[in-house]
Amino acid sequence: MNKAQKLWLLFKTTFISSTTANSGYAILSVMKNLFVEKYKWFNEDEMNDYIGLAQSAPGPMAVNGAVIIGYQINGIFGSIVAVMGIVIPPIIIMILVTVFYQYIVSNEYVRLFMEGMEAGVCALLLDVIIGLFVNVTKDKSIYPYILIIISFIYIKFTHFSIFYLALACVVAGVVKSLLTTRKVRK
Amino acid sequence: MLLEIFFVFMKIGALAFGGAYASIAVVEKQVVEVAKWMSYSEFSNLIAIDELTPGPIIINSATFIGMRMGGIPGAIIATLGAITPPIIITALLLFLYRKYREIKIVSEILFALKCMALAMVISTFISIGVATIFTGSGAMISNTDYLLLMMSLASFFILRKYKINPLYIMLVCGVINLAIKTLL
Repeated sequence: MNKAQKLWLLFKTTFISSTTANSGYAILSVMKNLFVEKYKWFNEDEMNDYIGLAQSAPGPMAVNGAVIIGYQINGIFGSIVAVMGIVIPPIIIMILVTVFYQYIVSNEYVRLFMEGMEAGVCALLLDVIIGLFVNVTKDKSIYPYILIIISFIYIKFTHFSIFYLALACVVAGVVKSLLTTRKVRK
Repeated sequence: MLLEIFFVFMKIGALAFGGAYASIAVVEKQVVEVAKWMSYSEFSNLIAIDELTPGPIIINSATFIGMRMGGIPGAIIATLGAITPPIIITALLLFLYRKYREIKIVSEILFALKCMALAMVISTFISIGVATIFTGSGAMISNTDYLLLMMSLASFFILRKYKINPLYIMLVCGVINLAIKTLL
């Protein structure tokens, strides 16, 4: 397969999966299926590392995954093509949705339907909270609880920018990793 | 205005740790509380729309809000803003990964940021929960919407127990709410 064909396949895959799938995991597993199992451009372990990296960076996992996979396939140009494939479909779809939004929500039946969906949104957020909580507290240390409580107080009761809180978390992470590596050396 | 949209979404993109649904909290904080571009109920509608449409939640929200604030250029600028920091940070992580393979310090930083993300989702959950369950302003027994409250609780248990796609649960909630409130 030559370069242009590879890029076209990359664009086609990202574009189609972004048009049909709702979650980053789904989009990345489509890419995994194709690039690992069918074309064997990378192996399973590499692909899992890429998914881990994509999850680690902030922002949409599908976009981050596209940056990495695109780069591994065809350098920076590959990244650009893959990101465009991911981003263009939702932009077009949401522009259309916004145009019709006012007409749609001014309808009483639609409004009631959306109001009902909000109950599902609350349940979903609570489910995300439990999931994240289980994930960060699995080591049975008091450290995550302190971080969560301080962050919550900062977010809910002060009006400072979240940016400083994120910065403080970065510092906490650096300090913690320095402390733990020193312990290991002893 | 366009520049402001760009910077607000850049901030959202840079702070959106902890997965798609956790990033809802970042959008809520910046767009509803700081910039005051939408109300809580409009924002809940937006999440419902995000679930109904394909594509990453941050991009959908950025396009939607950008479009309302500044038309098609606003939509494109907002989306570009939202994906710029993630792309830069991902590129940086990829560079570190290709060079060192494993990095303890990065995982510790991410852990702390995940705790922050959790605190943000809790905060958003409280705000949106209040806006959804109580009609009008303020949380009082007299203006509690019991149907929505019961549906939220039921949805939560179903979601936790059976791990079904949240979209289906939301659709069912929508249909039930519509059916009961139009028939009664």
